[in-house]
Amino acid sequence: MKLLKHIQKEFKKNPFDYLLFVTVCVFFILALNIFQGERLVEFIIILAFVSFYIIWGIYHHVIENSLHLKVVLEYVLIGFTILFLVKILVMP
Amino acid sequence: MNALVASIHHLFVPRHTNNFKAKLLHHDFLTIYLACALMITAGVSHLQSTQGSILGYATDISPQKLIELTNRERESQGLGTLKKNDKLAVAAQKKAENMFEKDYWSHYGPAGETPWQFILSSGYQYEYAGENLAKNFLFSDGVVSAWMDSPTHRDNMLRKEYTDVGFAVANGVLNGEETTLVVQMFGTPLYPTTEAKNNNDAQPQEAAAPNSAPAKVPQTAVLSEGNTAQTSFYPIFLNVNLIFFSVLILALLLDFYFAAKLNLIHIKGKNLIHILFVSSITIGTFLVIKGSIL
Repeated sequence: MKLLKHIQKEFKKNPFDYLLFVTVCVFFILALNIFQGERLVEFIIILAFVSFYIIWGIYHHVIENSLHLKVVLEYVLIGFTILFLVKILVMP
Repeated sequence: MNALVASIHHLFVPRHTNNFKAKLLHHDFLTIYLACALMITAGVSHLQSTQGSILGYATDISPQKLIELTNRERESQGLGTLKKNDKLAVAAQKKAENMFEKDYWSHYGPAGETPWQFILSSGYQYEYAGENLAKNFLFSDGVVSAWMDSPTHRDNMLRKEYTDVGFAVANGVLNGEETTLVVQMFGTPLYPTTEAKNNNDAQPQEAAAPNSAPAKVPQTAVLSEGNTAQTSFYPIFLNVNLIFFSVLILALLLDFYFAAKLNLIHIKGKNLIHILFVSSITIGTFLVIKGSIL
């Protein structure tokens, strides 16, 4: 219950940011579905999504006045780890 | 036992021992993940350069497995199983080579090549014939499932008239990118008895006469070996990836839950967004391992 309230509070604080992220997630999955089997396009889509995730993180924390190098590093480390792991599957 | 539970808590649950943030999400651990990912990427690139193109194509597809799966689907529909036909396999191999050579992804070539020409040129006289194509799949069952999900390909696979089948799994560059093509050729011989007789005679004839396209036979064998070598790497790598994503999502969820419960205030990224991101990538991984069919 407390968790839901926490999520609601987060969404209410910056509804645009979260809606934007969810929309991009949906478009990411749709794009991968449409371009199934086109490895280069698939990789570009994944790269664009990872870049968006990092940029979203920086933008959101700037808006919230909570930007810190540690925060940027967190997004970059998670984003690039996943990018490299998935790259092996898409374009070995 | 208590030490194990404490370690798991330390890794997944925010508490005083990990500065109220799941240890798996600390920067040192995130750096280790990135270092491991980089090492794996470098390792794969190194294997590629030392072992040629064996690992250059992320596939675990073998003609034998494709035949088994195709026959399983036919048996489940009460249809007769298909026999592996070497001539159809040669036709499929020629078709795949032609697609790479002339750079097209279609049943018909730019110069008007038809699938039937490849079948006839391999010496298979057909009454009925058909072709299914697939590219960039990772696993044999993914190829067969995709064909079964498509009404036209499904009709082809389950056509009762067919008695023979031949497969080719070929690697090459198509439209500028490394591609794994799967060509499936179906057929019913025009003269069943003659065809069966020819088939029985085919192997000794090929072995005895070097002029009867001997290059195709070793080439198919090499591709099969390549696929066997890949079997040990890609499925394991895929599973490791999925386990890693699951552990990361679990750590993020627990960290998010306990941080909300304990009203923790930290300078850190948004766990909710990390969870959405990793979940979307996991769904994306399942889409990536599926190729396209034609």
